[in-house]
Amino acid sequence: MTTSDDRGRSLWADAIRKIKHNRVALVSFWVIIGYLVLAALCASGLAFTGYGITNNDISYQAPSWAHWFGTDLFGRDVLARAAQGTVTSLIVGFFGAGLSVVIGTLLGALAGYFGGLIDELITWFYSTLDNIPYILLLVAFSFVSGPGLKTLCLAIGLTSWVGHCRLVRSEFIKQRGQEYVQGAFAMGASHARRIFIHILPNTLHLVLISFSLGFVSAIKSEVILSYLGLGVEPGTPSWGMMISDAKLELSRGVWWGLAAATLFMFFLVLAFTLFNDGIRDATDPKLRDK
Amino acid sequence: MSTDSLIQIKNLSVEFQTDEASVKAVKNISFDIPKGKTVGLVGESGSGKSVSSLAIMGLIPNPPGEVTSGEILFEGKDLLKFSESKMRKIRGKRISMIFQEPMTSLNPVFTVGDQICESLILHEKMSKQEAWEKAIDLLDQVGIPNPSERIKSYPHEMSGGQRQRVMIAMAISCNPDLLIADEPTTALDVTIQKQILELIADLQKKYGMSVLFITHDLGVIADISDEVVVMYRGDIVEKNSTEEVFKKPSHPYTKGLLACRPNLDEHPRRLPTVSDFMTPEGKEIHHDESVLRAAKETRVIGEAQIPLLEITNLKKHFPLKKGFFGGVQSWVKAVDDVTLTVRKGRTLGLVGESGCGKTTLGRTILRLIEPTEGQIKYNGIDVTALNKNDMRAMRRKMQIIFQDPYASLNPRMTIGAALMEPMVIHKLGSSKSERLDMSAKLMDRVGLHPSMLNRYPHEFSGGQRQRICIARALAVEPEFIICDESVSALDVSIQAQILNLLLDLQEELNLTYVFISHDLAVVKFISDEVAVMYNGKVVEMNDAVGIYERPQHEYTKKLLSAIPKGMPKSLIL
Repeated sequence: MTTSDDRGRSLWADAIRKIKHNRVALVSFWVIIGYLVLAALCASGLAFTGYGITNNDISYQAPSWAHWFGTDLFGRDVLARAAQGTVTSLIVGFFGAGLSVVIGTLLGALAGYFGGLIDELITWFYSTLDNIPYILLLVAFSFVSGPGLKTLCLAIGLTSWVGHCRLVRSEFIKQRGQEYVQGAFAMGASHARRIFIHILPNTLHLVLISFSLGFVSAIKSEVILSYLGLGVEPGTPSWGMMISDAKLELSRGVWWGLAAATLFMFFLVLAFTLFNDGIRDATDPKLRDK
Repeated sequence: MSTDSLIQIKNLSVEFQTDEASVKAVKNISFDIPKGKTVGLVGESGSGKSVSSLAIMGLIPNPPGEVTSGEILFEGKDLLKFSESKMRKIRGKRISMIFQEPMTSLNPVFTVGDQICESLILHEKMSKQEAWEKAIDLLDQVGIPNPSERIKSYPHEMSGGQRQRVMIAMAISCNPDLLIADEPTTALDVTIQKQILELIADLQKKYGMSVLFITHDLGVIADISDEVVVMYRGDIVEKNSTEEVFKKPSHPYTKGLLACRPNLDEHPRRLPTVSDFMTPEGKEIHHDESVLRAAKETRVIGEAQIPLLEITNLKKHFPLKKGFFGGVQSWVKAVDDVTLTVRKGRTLGLVGESGCGKTTLGRTILRLIEPTEGQIKYNGIDVTALNKNDMRAMRRKMQIIFQDPYASLNPRMTIGAALMEPMVIHKLGSSKSERLDMSAKLMDRVGLHPSMLNRYPHEFSGGQRQRICIARALAVEPEFIICDESVSALDVSIQAQILNLLLDLQEELNLTYVFISHDLAVVKFISDEVAVMYNGKVVEMNDAVGIYERPQHEYTKKLLSAIPKGMPKSLIL
C-alpha cells in the first residue's frame, strides 16, 4: 500500500518529464536560455559594451579577428550591435506577445464561456479588427504614437491578439460543456471560479504554445517595422535596423551587417519554434501515453 | 477439431512498450474459431480482447505494440507471416470488422453508397454500376428501408442504429469468412441492440460465415454465440460451449461475471461482485455466505415516506429554428409536461432511450438548465423561484454524479483539491487541515485509500474515478443526488461494485436518489419506483417490481422485451 505522502503526478510534471526526454526540445530550451543570458549581460553592461563607439577610420571593414562580423558605416562593431539587438528583440517579443496573449485570453475566455451577446460583441470586434491588414494597423499605431521601444510593444500587443482570442474562445466553448465544469456548477461554484480555477488551467498549455508563437512573430514584426523606419529610435541596436541599413549596403558588397542580424534572428526563431513543438507534443492530451 | 476451424490462434502474446515498462496485453493465449460458428470473446476493458482481434487483422500498431510470440493460422497459413500487401487482400475481403462507435466509423464526407462500393470495387473488381446495384441489395439485406433512395444518404442523415447496419453491410459486402464484431451494440439503445444482434445472427446463418463477437457483457452474447472465450488480464480463463459456460461456469471470474449482472427476475438487496468470487490475482475465494445470502434476499420496498421532490408540469423546450426576424419557429420539446414525485430516502429510476429527455430532466431539476415552465418543489421550497444566492445555498443539498468518469473530474486538480473545493464554496470545515481530514474520511467511505488524495485523476481507473465523483458529491453532505447514467460507462463487474456502494451510502446517510439510465436491469435493481420516459413525457410510473411484472404502456413492453435475457434460450424454461 502507498504511504501517506504519496505524491501524484500532475499533467504539468508529466509534460516536463516528457520534454526532458525530447532532445531537440531540450537543446532548443538551452539555446533560448543562452539568448536570455546574453541579453542580460548586454543590458547590464557586462558584455559587448562597445556597440556605440564610432570610429570613422574603420568604416565598413570586412570581418576580421578584431571585428568578427566587420564594422558598419560609423565603424561600430557589427557583432556587438547584433548581440545588443538581442535585448531589443527579447523585450519586444516578451512584452508584445505577453500583452497580446493577456488581451486575447481574457476576451476569448469571456466570449467562449458566456456565449450569447457577450460572445457576439467580442466576435464582432475582433472580426472587424482582423479585416484591417495587420501591417497597416501596426504602421498606423506607430505613426500616431511615434517610434520607440514602448510604442513598439504596445502596437504589437494591441494588434496581434485576435489569433489567441479565437483559440481560447473555441477551447472555452469546448470545455464549458464538459462534465467537470457542469459538476462545478452543480456544486455551487461561481462564474469566476469556473472560468479561472477550472477551465483556464485546462487551456493554459494552448495559451503557452500560442504565446511562444506570438513571441516569434513579435520579433519578426519588430524587424519589419524597423525596416520601415517605424521601429525603435535610431541609434538603439536592433536587428531590424541592421537589416534596414543593409538595403543600401548590399549594393556596395557589404554583406556582414545583414548576415549577423539574420543569423542571430534565425537561431532564436528556430529554437523557439522547435521548443514550441516540444511543448505541444508534451502537453497534447491526445499524445499522452497511459 | 482442426479440420473444421477457420482460425486457430496458438500461443499468441502481444506486448506494448510504454515510457516506463513493457505491458503484456495478451499472454500466450490459444483458441479456435470454427467455420460457420459464432465465438463470443468476453472480458472487461484492458483484458486484451480487442488486442487479440486486432492481431488477427494484423492491425497491432507497431510501435508501441508487438506480437512477441505465437501464430494465427487462417486456413492453415500463419497470418502473422503475411506481408502487408498480402494482408490487405485479406482484410475487408476474407476477414472484416465492425466497430463500437457507428458515429465515427463512417466517413462523413461520402454517401453510404460510395463507402459500400469502395471495397466491392477494390476487392471484387466490380464496375461502378455493378457495385452500386450490389450495395442497394446489401442495404436491403441489413434492413434499411427504401434502399435505392437511402444509398444516396450521408452518414449524418442516419440514426445510430442505421449507421451500424451500414457498417455491417460494408463488412459483409465481400462475403467474408470471418466477421469480427468489436462491441457493435455497446453504443446503442436496447431496442436497437436487439435488432442488430438478430441481424448479425441472421446474416451469419445465411452466409455461413464465422463471427468473433467481442463484448464486456456476457448477457449480450448468450443468445447468439455457440462458444464463449472469457479473458481476464490478458489470459484466457475459460473457454467452452455457451451452454456449459452459463450452466456451470468453472472459473471464479466467470462465476462473478454471471452473478454481478442485475437480473430482471429478481430484486435483490445487494449484487455479488467478481471480488466476492476471486482475489485480484485470480485465486478463488470460498465466498462469504452472507454476501450471497444478501444477494438472494429480496429487497423490501419500505413504507411510503414524505415527498422530498415534487415536480409539476415541468417543461424544457429548446429553440430549433429561428425565423428571418429572429422569432423562433420550431421547438424541441426535450421535457414536455412532466409531473413526478420523489420520496425521501427512496430511489426513483428514470429509464428511456437516448434522446428521450431524461438527462435534460435531471439537469433541469438542478437548474443546470433553466426550465421553460413548471414547478420544482424541494422540501416545499420552489427551486425555480430561488435567486442566485439562495440557489447556491440550495446546491449543497442537491448533487449530481455524471456518466463519464473521465470527463467529470478536472484533470489539472488533485483529488484532494477536487474534494475540498465544494467545502470551500459552502464554507464547511474551519481550516484546511480539517477539510483534509474530512476528505480523507470521504475517501475511506467510498472505498479508496486516503493516501491517494495527492494524486491526479489520470492516475485512477474508471471505477475508482466514479468513486471519487461520488465522494465529491458527498463532500457537501447532500440529501438528494441525481445519478445520470453513473454506471453506464463502467464494466459490468465494476458496475456492480458502484451500485452496491450507492445502496450502502443510501442506507447509511438516508439519501434520496434519482437514478437515470437506459439499462432497465440496472434501474430495476437500484430503484424503488421507476418512471419510463418517451419523447419528453413520462409514459408510465410504478414501483420497481410492478413496472416489470405488469407493464401497461406499449413502449414499456417494447423496452422490456428488448433486454437480453442473459441466458441462452435453451436454458430458459
